[in-house]
Amino acid sequence: MRLRLRAHLGARAALRPRLLPWRAGHPAPLPDMPFTTGTARWREGVAVAPGPDWEEAGAAAVAVLPEGTRRAVLDARALRPEEAVAMASGVALHAPCGFRLDLWHADTAAVAPLWRNARAVLKGVALARRLTLAPGNALTPKLFARRLRRLERHGIAVHVLGRKRLRAAGFGALLAVGEGSANPPRLVVLRWPGRIPAPPLVLVGKGITFDTGGLCLKPAAGMEAMRADMAGAAACAGAMLALALRDSPAPVAAVLPLAENAIGAAAYRPGDVITTLSGQTVEVVDTDAEGRLALADALTYAVRAFRPEAVVDLATLTGAVITALGHHRAGLFGNDAPLAAALCAAGEAVGECLWPLPIGEAHRRDLESGIADLRQCASGRYQPDACHAAAFLREFLGESPPAWAHLDIAGMVDEPADRPPGAAPIPGGFGVRLLDALVAGRFEDPHRR
Amino acid sequence: MPDILFVKPTLPRAGAMVLPLAEGFTLSGLAREADEATGGAIARGLEAAGFKGKKGQTCTLWAPGGHLSRVVAVGLGATPDERSAEAAGGATWPLVSAEPEAVVAAEGLNAALAAALAFGARLRSYRFDKYRTKEGAEDKPKLVRLAIASAEPEAARAAHAPLSAVADGVFLARDLVSEPPNVLFPEEMAERCRKLEKLGVEVEILGPKALKELGFGALLGVAQGSAREPRVVVMQWKGASQGGKNGGKGEGRAGPVAFIGKGVTFDTGGISIKPAGGMEDMKFDMAGAGAVIGAMAALAGRRAKVDAVGLVGLVENMPSGTAQRPGDVVKSLSGQTVEVINTDAEGRLVLADVLWYARERFKPRFMVDLATLTGAIIVALGHEHAGLFSNDDDLAQKLTAAGTAVGEALWRMPLGEAYDKALKSDIADMKNVGGRPGGSVTAAQFIQRFIDTREGPMPWAHLDIAGTAWATKDSATVPKGATAFGVRLLDRLVAGHYEG
Repeated sequence: MRLRLRAHLGARAALRPRLLPWRAGHPAPLPDMPFTTGTARWREGVAVAPGPDWEEAGAAAVAVLPEGTRRAVLDARALRPEEAVAMASGVALHAPCGFRLDLWHADTAAVAPLWRNARAVLKGVALARRLTLAPGNALTPKLFARRLRRLERHGIAVHVLGRKRLRAAGFGALLAVGEGSANPPRLVVLRWPGRIPAPPLVLVGKGITFDTGGLCLKPAAGMEAMRADMAGAAACAGAMLALALRDSPAPVAAVLPLAENAIGAAAYRPGDVITTLSGQTVEVVDTDAEGRLALADALTYAVRAFRPEAVVDLATLTGAVITALGHHRAGLFGNDAPLAAALCAAGEAVGECLWPLPIGEAHRRDLESGIADLRQCASGRYQPDACHAAAFLREFLGESPPAWAHLDIAGMVDEPADRPPGAAPIPGGFGVRLLDALVAGRFEDPHRR
Repeated sequence: MPDILFVKPTLPRAGAMVLPLAEGFTLSGLAREADEATGGAIARGLEAAGFKGKKGQTCTLWAPGGHLSRVVAVGLGATPDERSAEAAGGATWPLVSAEPEAVVAAEGLNAALAAALAFGARLRSYRFDKYRTKEGAEDKPKLVRLAIASAEPEAARAAHAPLSAVADGVFLARDLVSEPPNVLFPEEMAERCRKLEKLGVEVEILGPKALKELGFGALLGVAQGSAREPRVVVMQWKGASQGGKNGGKGEGRAGPVAFIGKGVTFDTGGISIKPAGGMEDMKFDMAGAGAVIGAMAALAGRRAKVDAVGLVGLVENMPSGTAQRPGDVVKSLSGQTVEVINTDAEGRLVLADVLWYARERFKPRFMVDLATLTGAIIVALGHEHAGLFSNDDDLAQKLTAAGTAVGEALWRMPLGEAYDKALKSDIADMKNVGGRPGGSVTAAQFIQRFIDTREGPMPWAHLDIAGTAWATKDSATVPKGATAFGVRLLDRLVAGHYEG
């Protein structure tokens, strides 16, 4: 979305659909308005009362604009600057591609810097969405890595490891996942230096550019959605862009394992034992539980290469988390209560909600293997697979693990099967705003220790 | 089941001796006497076996000398507490149950820990063998006398008395859950509740006629496919209002605590029938009711100073010519209508009416329901935690703490409007299922719609125990099979916060 900030509007501009917020209890801005909350259309535009917040009001306003509207005026003169920006963000997050908004506010000097920050985050969200929506043939690991290279122009250091170097370094798990595909894996490392001399926060994102399930092939119905199996990596990339655009002082890195899980003559098999970067051996049980393998090596690399203050990984990891939490909350696992609390708070603040789930002793025991150091997952029906996956990942944080959180975001990307046709799809880019809010709230204070 | 005695320390002359030992132990008291009597064989044996006293560690020394047939050492961990003493007792049981007599050298433990150890052994000793007709005496446990040698046997005995009542409640619940479904159907289960009258519990049984008159439309819809009639049992324990010093009228007491259990004595799924594989497990679909009955027995058995009501909705869910169909609309006791999409989501229909009734009739201070409600909770959490849903943070926190204290772990799960929307029906007030995503959450949302808050807040918690009601392998104090999950938890909740 493009936004122009205006202190005054010309007569022509005023004719465009006008979004007119007002507060409950205040006199209605127009006569004949019979309601006090929600939205209403009149011939010139849309009036909006805030829902839980102004961002939602912006979303609600978009929903009732006449179809095909490409441009609107947000008459935010009655709002405080931060409210105006929140509402504009709401419009931006829900408006169609190429939408233009004129933000009308008396105090443009106060609004402008707020909008600059908001815009940085929205750009990050847009990047994550574009990547997530890209089809599997347009976003192979190589093409994904190429697109991430473009982040260099924003001051982000981009480092790409190809198959040869992955092999030499011993990324056995990531390579195994990519073995069946003609498009070999990549590991992309993004670094935003920040200004605070502290160990970085490292983001790790699952980047399976397309997931067929491998030899444990998924059913055909719905497989097309598996182009989004790199939403974790996309969210991390989006968050890095947001941090760079708003010039965050916090040092943050992202480690993104990219691979395609395909069927091929060289594909890895159930029963294979692979040696991960950590040196631990893993018995493959289900080739469709590939995300945790790719993440395992990435986590090991992240901990070894950065000695981070904290590691947060995001992954569309399991169907089990959807059974557990549906499409309204992502699953949160981890080993550090303060980090988990900070993530939950950040999520609530930006409307990307999390819910903590356990890693129990039994979950780890279920992964014991008769032949290797651990099994990748348990077999059989009714398995707490999201918990198993988290228990698995925890084994790859090294001898003295940093604070770590794992977000299983499968439910936030998959669309509910019962979404009525024509209803707005779930906005992608889950995680970008959450990570940005986490960094802003927890990692930008230079005196935090 | 053996007699459990608390005795003064005297060296046994035969049989088994049990040594509960903490990390860094030195043999003292009876253990030392036994060691001396065996010429140091015990100390040497433990050393050779690498026994360190770690939690869960056990070591059996056979015929170490003297007349002892075996000495069993069990680890208490670094700092013995009630949980580790219980676990040590539980670990002891299978190692000594082949002996007629065993003495536990527990002088090193205080009265509470000695009692906890005995309690653990008792819990582990549970066995459901009434249908094994060909099992010989040699296959059964022989232990008839478990003597706990304590420095303060009187105090230990006193500490053990309430635990013994709780164990009775646990065993009752395990019996109910273990019974096959042709033996235990609603009417029979209701009759077994009558046995609580001996403990002073008022038991009232509502049959189909009464339920129909009252308007239990949702529960009756579930029951209508079965030849077995449904029952709702109301159990009241008036431990505070009668006899207790805090009782009596005119004190402005809060209402009773209320426990509600799902009691589907067998769940075929109904017309939405379940797959054959594993259907036999559905005899434990009344484990929530079993836990409530067990908890009432525990509270009454230890004369708890609390007013408690337990209500269980007992039905059998069968497919037949009279069975409820997917698509039926039923009118619940609350007046709300429900479109039945899946007849296998029957537990929530039963709970809906019973919860509504409990609230209307008893005005309880809080309600906790227990139900083997969803397979989704197993996918969400596995078998270590039961799912906890609540509209009240304080109650949720107390339940979680009680569960941790007794080893019946809970994990809080979310509720929220977004989930509630999945229950929207085109034809009735709600559907009875919300789809696979967040299946346990939408089930809880369904139940929440039957928590009447019109007259003010009604603290409520729902425990989805589908993953914890049945164990496929032994653990320290729970032999495989029916766990009675919830009995100890509810008892502890009451003991910790609602007595006196």
